[in-house]
Amino acid sequence: MYIIVVGLGKMGTTLTAQLAKEGHDVVAIDTKNSVIANTVDTYDVMGICGSGSSIEVLGEAGAKKAKLIIACTDSDELNILCCTFAKSLGTEHTIARVRNPDYANQVNFLREKIGINMIVNPEYETANEIARIIRFPSVANVDSFARGKVEIARIIVHAENPLCDMPIHEIRKKFRQQVLICAVQRGSTVTIPSGDFIIKKEDSISITGTRTELTSFMRAIGVYKQRINNVMIVGGGRIGYYLSLLLSETSRNIKLIDLDEEKCRKLKNSLGDVTVICGDGTDQDLLDELSIENQDSLVALTGIDEENIIVSMYAYSKNVKKVITKVDRHSYSILTDIGLETIVSPQLVAGSLVTRYVRALQNSAENAQIHTLYKLVGGKVEALEFSVPIDASYENIPFKDLHIFSDILIVSIIRKGKIIFPGGDDVMKGGDTVIVVTAGRIIEDLHDIFI
Amino acid sequence: MNYKIVFNRLGSLLLVEAALMALPLTVGILYKEKTALAFLITIVILAIAGNILKIKKSEAERFYAKEGYFLVALTWLLFSAFGALPFFISHAIPNYFDAFFETVSGFTTTGSTILTDIESMPRSLLFWRAFTHFIGGMGILVFVIAIFPHTEGSAMHIMRAESPGPSVGKLVSKLKATARLLYGIYCIMTLVLIILLKAGGMPLFDSVTNAFATAGTGGFCALNNSIEGYSSAYAEVVLGIFMVLFGVNFNLYYLIIAKHGKQALKSEELRWYLGFIAASTFVITLVLTFTRHPFAESLRKAFFQVSSIISTTGFTSTDYDYWPMVCKIVLFLLMFIGSCAGSTGGGIKISRIVVLVKSTIRTVKKAFNPRSVETIKLEGKPLDEDMVHSINSFLSLYMIVMAVSIFVVSIDGKGMVETITSVVTCMNNVGPAFGAIGPSGNFANFSNLTKIVLAFDMLAGRLELIPMFMLFTKYIIPRKYA
Repeated sequence: MYIIVVGLGKMGTTLTAQLAKEGHDVVAIDTKNSVIANTVDTYDVMGICGSGSSIEVLGEAGAKKAKLIIACTDSDELNILCCTFAKSLGTEHTIARVRNPDYANQVNFLREKIGINMIVNPEYETANEIARIIRFPSVANVDSFARGKVEIARIIVHAENPLCDMPIHEIRKKFRQQVLICAVQRGSTVTIPSGDFIIKKEDSISITGTRTELTSFMRAIGVYKQRINNVMIVGGGRIGYYLSLLLSETSRNIKLIDLDEEKCRKLKNSLGDVTVICGDGTDQDLLDELSIENQDSLVALTGIDEENIIVSMYAYSKNVKKVITKVDRHSYSILTDIGLETIVSPQLVAGSLVTRYVRALQNSAENAQIHTLYKLVGGKVEALEFSVPIDASYENIPFKDLHIFSDILIVSIIRKGKIIFPGGDDVMKGGDTVIVVTAGRIIEDLHDIFI
Repeated sequence: MNYKIVFNRLGSLLLVEAALMALPLTVGILYKEKTALAFLITIVILAIAGNILKIKKSEAERFYAKEGYFLVALTWLLFSAFGALPFFISHAIPNYFDAFFETVSGFTTTGSTILTDIESMPRSLLFWRAFTHFIGGMGILVFVIAIFPHTEGSAMHIMRAESPGPSVGKLVSKLKATARLLYGIYCIMTLVLIILLKAGGMPLFDSVTNAFATAGTGGFCALNNSIEGYSSAYAEVVLGIFMVLFGVNFNLYYLIIAKHGKQALKSEELRWYLGFIAASTFVITLVLTFTRHPFAESLRKAFFQVSSIISTTGFTSTDYDYWPMVCKIVLFLLMFIGSCAGSTGGGIKISRIVVLVKSTIRTVKKAFNPRSVETIKLEGKPLDEDMVHSINSFLSLYMIVMAVSIFVVSIDGKGMVETITSVVTCMNNVGPAFGAIGPSGNFANFSNLTKIVLAFDMLAGRLELIPMFMLFTKYIIPRKYA
C-alpha cells in the first residue's frame, strides 16, 4: 500500500519503521533534512524534505495516488490541514494526530465534515491503557480480544513463583485452569513456547484465557494483587489529565502532582474529585511527605524518561505494588532488567492503533479476515484475531493434522460465543473467530500460518 | 566494524560473479574456444571462495555506513581480482598485473587497455571485457539489490557508496524497486542500441559488445582502431548520441516514464551537460574546419569525440592526437568534467562542477561584500551548506589523489604528457589519454607499479574516492589489534 507519513517525530518514526517492515511503500516527509537523511538510511522508505502542508511537497510525495496519509507533526492544526490538502489531492484515507483536548470534542465534526478518517490522540490512548492496567493490577499488561471475552495478560515470573522451572505441558495439569502460555520473553528474545519449554526465573510470560479463568490462575500462582485504591500520578501533562479523568469515574483516591502552579489550578478546575498537589514530583522529600509507602500504585508521567525511571525505582523501593512508567524511548530490555515491570510508551500505543487501521484497510482491499491486531511484549509479539471464512481448505481438519509454523500458536477459537482452547483434536469451522499469536512473522491471512 | 556480516555478504557477491561468468562461458562454448575452460575454472574458484566466506553468519543484521563503504570497496577489488583470472589462466594476458589492470579498467568502465592486438583475442574474453563494463556501469551492488529477494532498509548505505554523484535519491520508496527501475531503464536502452547498431550493418557480436561498452560508458572495443575500424558514419552517429544519453542522470528517464517529462527537460544539470557538449563541439568543429577539414566530417568527428570524452566512454573515431592543440585541450578539460550524477559515467560530475562554480562566485562576491548572505541553488532549490562543503572537500581529495598518483607514475620515467594524462584518464574513467597512450597507443609499456597505481585510481574514481580511502584508515583494523 502507498502510504505517506508526515512528521518524523517519535510516533512518525515508529510508524515508518513498522509500515516499511510490513512491506508498504512509505514516503516520509519532514522539514528537517538531517531527520530525513537518517530515516532513509535506516529504513527502506523514500524521504522528502519539506512541509507537509505544501501542495508542491505533497504532490511530489505522490498524494494523488496514495492510499493513506498519516499526519503526525507536532502541530494539530498542521496535521488537520495536511490531511485536508491530501484528501483534495486524491489521497483515499487520512489519519491525523490531534492532541489538544480542545479539539477532542470536535472529533465527530472532523471526521464527518472535514473528512479525516481517523483521529489519533496518543496521550488519551495511553491514559486509557494505563487505566486498564490499574483496573487489572495483577499483571504487567492486559489486552482483550473478541469484545473482552478473551484476555492476554503478561506477568513476570519471580523466584517464588510456582511456575519457575516447570515445563509448560505440566502447567495445565497442575492448575486445572483453561489458560495457555502463548509467548515467553527471556532477555531480549521472544519465543512462542512448545509443551517442552521450561519456564525460568525472570521470564516474562504472556497468558491467555477468559477473565475468570485468568483471575483464578493468577490467584493460584500467587501473583494476584488486591484492588488498587490509592493512585499517585507524577506529572500533570495531557496523559495525567486524561488518566485522572478516567480513574476518578471509578471512585479511587487520586493524587496528581505537578510542578506548575497555573497548570495545577487548571487541572483542579476540570478534575473535581482529584487531589492536585503543586510540587516537584521527582523530589524524594515530597514523595515521602505524601506517604508514598501507603500508595497502591504510582504512575510516572513526567516529560522526561529519566525522571520517570528514577521515580519508579524509588516507588519500588518503598514497596508500592503497581508502578507504571511512561517511557518515550523504546530501550525496553534494559528497563525490565532493572526491575520496571510495566512500561507504557505513547508512540507504541498510537503506533499499534494506526497499524491496526492500516491492516484493516489492506484487508478490506484484499478481502482478508483480520479483525484486530495487538502488539504485545513491546511490539515483538503480535496477536491477531481472524474470522475463518466458510469453505476454507483448512476447515474441519484437526490441528494435529495441520502443518503450522512452529513460531505460531492458535490461542483460542470462539464459536458461537463459546470459547475453546484448542488441543490437537479441535478443528476450525467457517464463521469461527480464531486468535493467533506470532513472534516476528507477518501474517495477513489465515493461510499464512501453514507451512 | 562488523566483519562477519561484510564477509558473509561478500561471499554471496562472489557467487553472483560466478553466475555472471556463465555468460562469457556460454559465448566461449558457442565459438568453440579453449578459453571456455578458463572461465569454468574461475567459476569453480569463485564458488569455493564464496562458500568459504559465507560459513560464518552474523548475528547482528544491521548495516551501518562504514560496513557499507567497506563492503563496496572490497567487492570491487575482489570482483576485479577474480575477474582477471580468465585472462590469466587462458594465457591471453600472461602477466597477472596486466590482467588485473584490464579487468579493473572494465569494471570501472574506464576502457584503458594494455592489449596491443585486440583482434587476436578469443571472442569469449572480448565479450567478458565488454560485459564487465555493463555490470560496472550501473554498479555491481545495485544489481545485487535488484535481484536479491530480501533487502534491508540499511542497504541504502551500499547504494550510496556505489552510486556516482554528490547525493543519491530514491526514485520510489523501496530501494529494491528503485534498483530494478534503474536496471530496467539501463537494459532497455542497451537493447535499443544493440538493435540500432545491428540494423546499421555491424556484426551481432560487435553490436552487443559495443552496446555494453557504451551503456557502461566504458570504451572497450573489439577492434584495434576502436570505432574508427568500422568506418561507418551511421555507427558513429548512433554511438555518439547514445554515449550522451548514458551520461544523463537516470532519474530523468524515470521522470519521463512517470510522465513528468517537462520537469526532466528543466533539469539544470542536464542543461549544463548539453551546454558543455554543444560548446565543445562548436569549438572543435570550428578549429578543424579552419585547418582545412571538410565541415560535415569535422562536425561528426568533433561530436563523436566530445560525447565520448564527456560521457567518459573513451571510444575513438579518429586519432585526435593529430588534432590541433586547442582541440586536444578541450578534450582534456572535458575529461575532468565528466557526465551527470546518477549516470553510468565518471569524472567529477556536472552537478559538482556547477556547485563548485557557484560557490567560487559566492566567495568572490563575499570578498567585496563581507556581510552579504548568499545561498547556492541547484535545480532551483537552495543547497544544504554541508553538501557544498562536502563537494569542496571532494575536489581537494581528488586533487591530492591525482597529485600523489602523478608523482608515483613519474617514477616510470615516461614523458610529461603520458605521466599526467594517464592518471587523469584513469581517475575519470575515460580510457584513452594523449601521446603514447592516446587513441592508437596502449598502457602495455608501463611498469607493474604504475599499473597498480592506475588501477587504484580507476577504482577511486569510479567509487568517488571515499570507499577506497576507507581501506587505508584505522576503521578496518579489527579492534583487538588497533
